[in-house]
Amino acid sequence: MLEKISRPELIRRWEGDLPVRHRYTPGVAGDAFFTALKERGDLLGSRCEHCSYTYVPARLFCERCFAELAADTEVGPGGELVSFTIVFQGIEGEPLGQPETLGAVRLDGADAVLLHRVLEPGEEPLEIGERVEVVLKPEPQRTGSILDIEGFRIPEP
Amino acid sequence: MARRVAVVGAGMTRFVRRAQETGKELAWEASREALASCELPLDRIDAVCLTSAPDAFDGVHMKGEYLSDGAGAFGRPYMRTYVGGGSGVFTAIQAYYTVASGMADVVLAVAEEKMSSTQPHPQGAFLTIFDNILERPLGPNLLWIFALEMNRYMTVHGIDKRDIAAVAVKNKRNAADHPAALLGQADITIEDVLASETLAWPVQRLDVSPISDGAVAIVVASEEAAKQITSDPVWIQGVGWNLDTAYWTNRDLVFPEYVANAARMAYGMAGVTEPRKQIHVAEPYDPFDYKELHHLEGLLLFDKGKAPEAAREGVLDRKGDLPSCPSGGLLGVGNPIAAAGLMKIAELFWQLRGEAGARQVPGTPERGVAQAWGDLMQVGTVVVMGREGGPPTTATQLETPPTATPGQSLSDAEFRSATGAVDDEIGARYAWDAGVAIGRFLDGLREGTIWGRECRNCERVLVPPRMFCERCFRGTDAWKQVENTGVVQTFSICNVRWDMQPLDEPELPAVISIDGSDGGLLHTLGEVKPDEVTIGMKVEAVWKPVGERTGSILDIAYFKPRSDA
Repeated sequence: MLEKISRPELIRRWEGDLPVRHRYTPGVAGDAFFTALKERGDLLGSRCEHCSYTYVPARLFCERCFAELAADTEVGPGGELVSFTIVFQGIEGEPLGQPETLGAVRLDGADAVLLHRVLEPGEEPLEIGERVEVVLKPEPQRTGSILDIEGFRIPEP
Repeated sequence: MARRVAVVGAGMTRFVRRAQETGKELAWEASREALASCELPLDRIDAVCLTSAPDAFDGVHMKGEYLSDGAGAFGRPYMRTYVGGGSGVFTAIQAYYTVASGMADVVLAVAEEKMSSTQPHPQGAFLTIFDNILERPLGPNLLWIFALEMNRYMTVHGIDKRDIAAVAVKNKRNAADHPAALLGQADITIEDVLASETLAWPVQRLDVSPISDGAVAIVVASEEAAKQITSDPVWIQGVGWNLDTAYWTNRDLVFPEYVANAARMAYGMAGVTEPRKQIHVAEPYDPFDYKELHHLEGLLLFDKGKAPEAAREGVLDRKGDLPSCPSGGLLGVGNPIAAAGLMKIAELFWQLRGEAGARQVPGTPERGVAQAWGDLMQVGTVVVMGREGGPPTTATQLETPPTATPGQSLSDAEFRSATGAVDDEIGARYAWDAGVAIGRFLDGLREGTIWGRECRNCERVLVPPRMFCERCFRGTDAWKQVENTGVVQTFSICNVRWDMQPLDEPELPAVISIDGSDGGLLHTLGEVKPDEVTIGMKVEAVWKPVGERTGSILDIAYFKPRSDA
């Protein structure tokens, strides 16, 4: 092994990349989820009665028993904060001017947990188990994206 | 003693240019059909084997984990294997040894590929199969490697391009009877293939299988479990796999020895001593039409150079003496890489049960062989399957399988406008170190010299040089300067870039064996007209001016015909 380089000018590097981009289409269940979100502001999940489990976002199949599922179960907009984190650095390790709070939320009626930003968490420390609610963008601004959800906020008392 | 293992069910999605389903959804659709075909609930599955080709196609890192839910892996022992294009057949081998070893009684094996996500062209994901330092600076294109192999195969054996085109015709015609096929065409002719656009001579558009999305699944069971599940199991009688050297420019491009090694391993296990008599139906890997012929020879089913004649004379037709790719193969059904290989196993399952409907080969075939190939064009994966005990006992179904063909195709407009679609890129860049051997080799190029490493054990001089001999697995012994001249082993005339955009001037990639060495290099030819290049032509390196050399493979500007030859 040659690990120690004493003459850095001798290091020969070839720089390159993998020249591909991707276009991800959302699939059968994803199409139903994003269309409902964009057009009606609804959060659609899929309920598997056999497994007593509600997935969100909606899914075409139950991964537990392989049953076909429909995107027909409305969940939220309220939910429970299952966990959260406060992020101080960007992906390159640079400090963020404004720390960002991310929350994992179990929406009312769902078993699966949805990840999104926590908006204006305020002065009081967040608590796991706290009630939160989904904030949507106004209808004209929605494009059919997970960002049509602005995030979660602590409801007004 | 290994336990006996059988295939008891199979299912697949339609192969389409662009699927509406996500990769997970495709995997689920195929898995559900495979389970339904043998009336098994998911909870009878003990373990799941999955395969999918490069992560960069779906654009999902750790694709095995991503696809696990659609493959039925929730809460089960699960492993993704991956050997490039050889993956689809290999996942049947993985399922075989998972059951034969006693680790599981019933296994679901799933293969998925969604290539349509890759922009601007899935070939971008293939570029890193070329050596980052010695080959990628030349601006290679995946077609080069096929065109170079095809040209050498044709030239050494004196093969007529018409006989190769006959394979594309046969497979696209066979695929017209496959309900899940993308490119079935009952009326295609050899003239259509020969008139199609030349991409990288001798490769033309219709010599190549299409980019596709799709998934396939099979259910594999131990003898005891198989007999409970079905009255007509199809046994996996033998499996084999084998790799050639990663230095593809050092390889025999005329005969795939690694396929022959894999075939010998599988035939040995299956007790097949005379494959030409004992194999009744074959599903060799056919991403390009010549590859099917190359592989039939590698599978020891024809003498070297004799498979093209068989294609010409109809021996390989569905009603011929050795039906080859009765499914329609990758050329006809489609080529979602990993899924296409497992489709071949599914086809043997249907053929050997006498259930293939309009695709059924005549007689009662008792034994078949499926094969795939991949990695850096160097792996052979082979499975021998057979049924035992007289004619099939299950009623012959009238409908041609797969009888259910889930999978929805998206039009170009739907793909562009899909609600919820996201455009993204991995955004990773790399800096590759030259390493010890190549670092010294590049120093030599800057000085206008070519150096190899000598292995005194096997008496080879290795170009490109390496500090160890991969055959003897010992350190190489000394540096040895070799000549700046060589011989063209094979070449292509390439008209397209890697993203399939046309080039203004054709490029002339070639594999050049370097005089004084046992190796060769990929490079390009210059100062010669395309129609004057021949295999066996003596060439010399043309160096960049001293001041412009940087210690790169591009310090050799190109190779030109030798002035003294």
